[in-house]
Amino acid sequence: MKRILALIVAVLMLATVFVGCGNGGNKETASSSADNDPFHGEDNITLKVWAPNEAVETFQAQCEDFIALYPDKKISIEVVAQGEADAATNLLNDPDAAADVFGFACNNLNKLYNAGVITPVYDEFKDDVTKRNSEESINAATLDNTLLAYPETGDNGYYLVYDKSVVSDEDAKTLEGILAACRKAGKKFVMDAGNGFYSCMFTFTGGMELAGLNEEGTQQFNDYNEDEVVASMQAFSKLFHEYKDIFESADVSKVSSGMAEDPRTVAAGIDGSWNAKVVSEVLGDDYGAAKLPTINIGGKDTQIISMHGYKLIGVNYKTKYPETSQLLANYLSDEKCQLERAEERSWGPSNLAAVESDVVKNNIATSAILEQAKHSVAQVGIADTFWDPMKTLGNKVYKPEESSETAALKELLAKTVANIKDE
Amino acid sequence: MKYIDYVQLNPFQKFGYNFKQFFVKLPGNLKKFFCLIGRFFKRIGMGIGKGVANYFTRFVKGDWATKLSYLIMGFGNAAKGQVIKGLLFLLTEVAYIAYIVLFGWKYLSKFNTLGTVESGFGVNPETGRPMTINGDNSMLILLYGILTIVITVIFFVIYIASTKSAYKAQQTVAAGKKPEKFSSELKNLLDNRFHVTLLAFPTLTISVFTILPMIFMILIAFTNYNYQHMAPGKLFTWVGFGTFSEIFKVTGGAASKSATFIELTKWTIIWAIFATVLNYIFGMIIALMINKKGIKLKSLWRTLFVVTIAVPQFVSLLLMNQMLQSYGAINVLLKELGIIQNPILFLNSTPLVARLTVIIINCWVGIPYTILITSGILMNIPADLYESATIDGAGPVKSFFKITLPYMLFVTTPYLITSFIGNINNFNVIYLLTDGAPYSENFYQAGYTDLLVTWLFKLTMTTQDYNLAAAVGILVFIVCATLSLITFNLTKSAKNEEEFS
Repeated sequence: MKRILALIVAVLMLATVFVGCGNGGNKETASSSADNDPFHGEDNITLKVWAPNEAVETFQAQCEDFIALYPDKKISIEVVAQGEADAATNLLNDPDAAADVFGFACNNLNKLYNAGVITPVYDEFKDDVTKRNSEESINAATLDNTLLAYPETGDNGYYLVYDKSVVSDEDAKTLEGILAACRKAGKKFVMDAGNGFYSCMFTFTGGMELAGLNEEGTQQFNDYNEDEVVASMQAFSKLFHEYKDIFESADVSKVSSGMAEDPRTVAAGIDGSWNAKVVSEVLGDDYGAAKLPTINIGGKDTQIISMHGYKLIGVNYKTKYPETSQLLANYLSDEKCQLERAEERSWGPSNLAAVESDVVKNNIATSAILEQAKHSVAQVGIADTFWDPMKTLGNKVYKPEESSETAALKELLAKTVANIKDE
Repeated sequence: MKYIDYVQLNPFQKFGYNFKQFFVKLPGNLKKFFCLIGRFFKRIGMGIGKGVANYFTRFVKGDWATKLSYLIMGFGNAAKGQVIKGLLFLLTEVAYIAYIVLFGWKYLSKFNTLGTVESGFGVNPETGRPMTINGDNSMLILLYGILTIVITVIFFVIYIASTKSAYKAQQTVAAGKKPEKFSSELKNLLDNRFHVTLLAFPTLTISVFTILPMIFMILIAFTNYNYQHMAPGKLFTWVGFGTFSEIFKVTGGAASKSATFIELTKWTIIWAIFATVLNYIFGMIIALMINKKGIKLKSLWRTLFVVTIAVPQFVSLLLMNQMLQSYGAINVLLKELGIIQNPILFLNSTPLVARLTVIIINCWVGIPYTILITSGILMNIPADLYESATIDGAGPVKSFFKITLPYMLFVTTPYLITSFIGNINNFNVIYLLTDGAPYSENFYQAGYTDLLVTWLFKLTMTTQDYNLAAAVGILVFIVCATLSLITFNLTKSAKNEEEFS
């Protein structure tokens, strides 16, 4: 009996092996829906939005406003804290778990584009977005003639902040004047020369510009004049060596912390837009802000050229609700939302109408940064290999024990460019 | 040298002799080593050959049920009455085939190219909207390809086991006995096959969480997975030893990876030697001082030194970093005291100053551990040894070198070796203190105080040169493995010759 049972089981097993798996379920594609619906048929929508920690509340409120615009749709939006600098990296790590709509710094755009994880701006928004934002910010959001993201801010840069009781407005026009005034008062001038974001000004002032990446992802530069760039580096180097007791290279936060000391140890510095609120509170009535000063290169006062970034809002390609995400990104980057953020968070807008508003004009830091933006190289199309060699260059330019001879600087420049290009 | 001559040497001469002997014997040992490897592979080959032969012998000798179980796993067992066991074997086969058909094959089939279809922007055919067309994802192909291969190997082992089991069941029946019941086999797992039960879980977790990622990382070194070939947007593919040759290629113009690698390797070894030896010597000296007769409040001193361990290492390191800044506490203090005019850039001026600084700071975080370890051992050295040495007229220095040091070395050599290897990979100190500064335009993404391991970190985190980082990782492993093998060998010979009691 048992033997027979065993045989039956064995035969049954035989059968299971040869029975093929049934055909999988048939996929029914969603039928295209009414054309007038901005959501194109999407409903019961849940979205995740990434915004920097300090702005989560602002964004949440704006998202609530967005939901209120469409009462007949069921939408829920969750705003999660995520710094803009790391947004791209985190998105690349796991696009499925990332936000549908996310804010990021524009220097990461090529990374997102190359990995194909960002959805371009839809056609119906394109013209409007291009029209309402500054040309530079649109350029910063465009690669290969495709508008890839919505400009969010126009002020991701740095500017000159000074203590009016030490540095007069007239002094603040030239770097020489600022340093002399600081020396008179025995106070410091602070900038982060050991950081590629700031130290690139040593070369940019001499006419170097970024020219995107080539197909292999190698950094390209414009056709700059090597002698002029070296002359600019030399001017900075000599000035810093001359004022080595006044000039201090430290993290940007040192500007506000030095000014907060009693008595103030720092009289002027180059500070980031994101710190503006803190510095203005620390200095009170003595708060001075302006575009970066000029520097004397070979007898000629030359405007310092900075690097200027933009913050963008992008749409994750893995989103389940692409139509709603685009609509939301468009909403979050329009004039109303940019103005709200300018009021609440002092974020400088990229929107042309918002820039002209009183809120922005009365904010001297934002005006200074937007003024400096006219003398800047946009932070777009930058290879990851850019920052480290530029940091090294900055360190070598300011350090008192390094040479400021033309030949040495020329070699430094050549090596820096070669390192960035990884040749 | 005869044994009697050797015994009369002092410890340093002994060490020198052993050291010389190590190199004299090296060619012979190397030959032995390669012979061993050869024999190992020969044995494996023989084993496989024998296994294959057995596999066919079993097939020829098996009855129809056994023969069928070569195709349908567990058939033979089931036919002989081991129904549950047979079902389990069958289940494994079905699961494996389902896995391959539904999941594994689509990755495994592209494993040799790592994908051919690149992603790009296109138009969604349903809505006419721009969207990303998903191409092949090289990283997932590599990852799941490895997973499939590993699963296939495991399945193959089970498959062989199933044919064996079927044949065994046939033999048992032929001998007129009853095949073993499933319940008794389960009981066996708790009894004379208990080691299998115990080891199953650790083996499984180690393979999933350690071996699988390790194979993945090692294989990345043989691809061109870097910032120019980032998945999911771009494809990467196999390049063989291309990445390794890039590390050793001497190029003009830009900072070459070879120059960076060689310079950082040199510094890593110098760092490891100094960090280990200084911590060891100073820790031992402090422990000796605390242990000295006549020192009062011994436990207070010991506690004070060990308190530094209570502060997390990274906290002390970050604090040190702040104190050593150009306007940090130390510079301000020196300036107030009138010792210096301009601040000293401890961490970011010349390579020598920065390297000295990190070595000295490392003593701060390292010495307490040595004190802890050595003071216990020091208390264990028999006091009569010192007494008789004193009676024989030995001073404190002599008894340190003749009694304390040999005793300590004897006991703590394994600790020394592990801390040496640990220092080669000492990420925290360098990363938190200097982050590689001072930087140099002659190095590729590195500074003068970067160790190989912090360089590796920068390569992965800032420039996404994953292939280069993987290759550097393999080279670091080779360096570490070689050094520890050499040192372990040296200590072994010392242990055999000299017994301390």
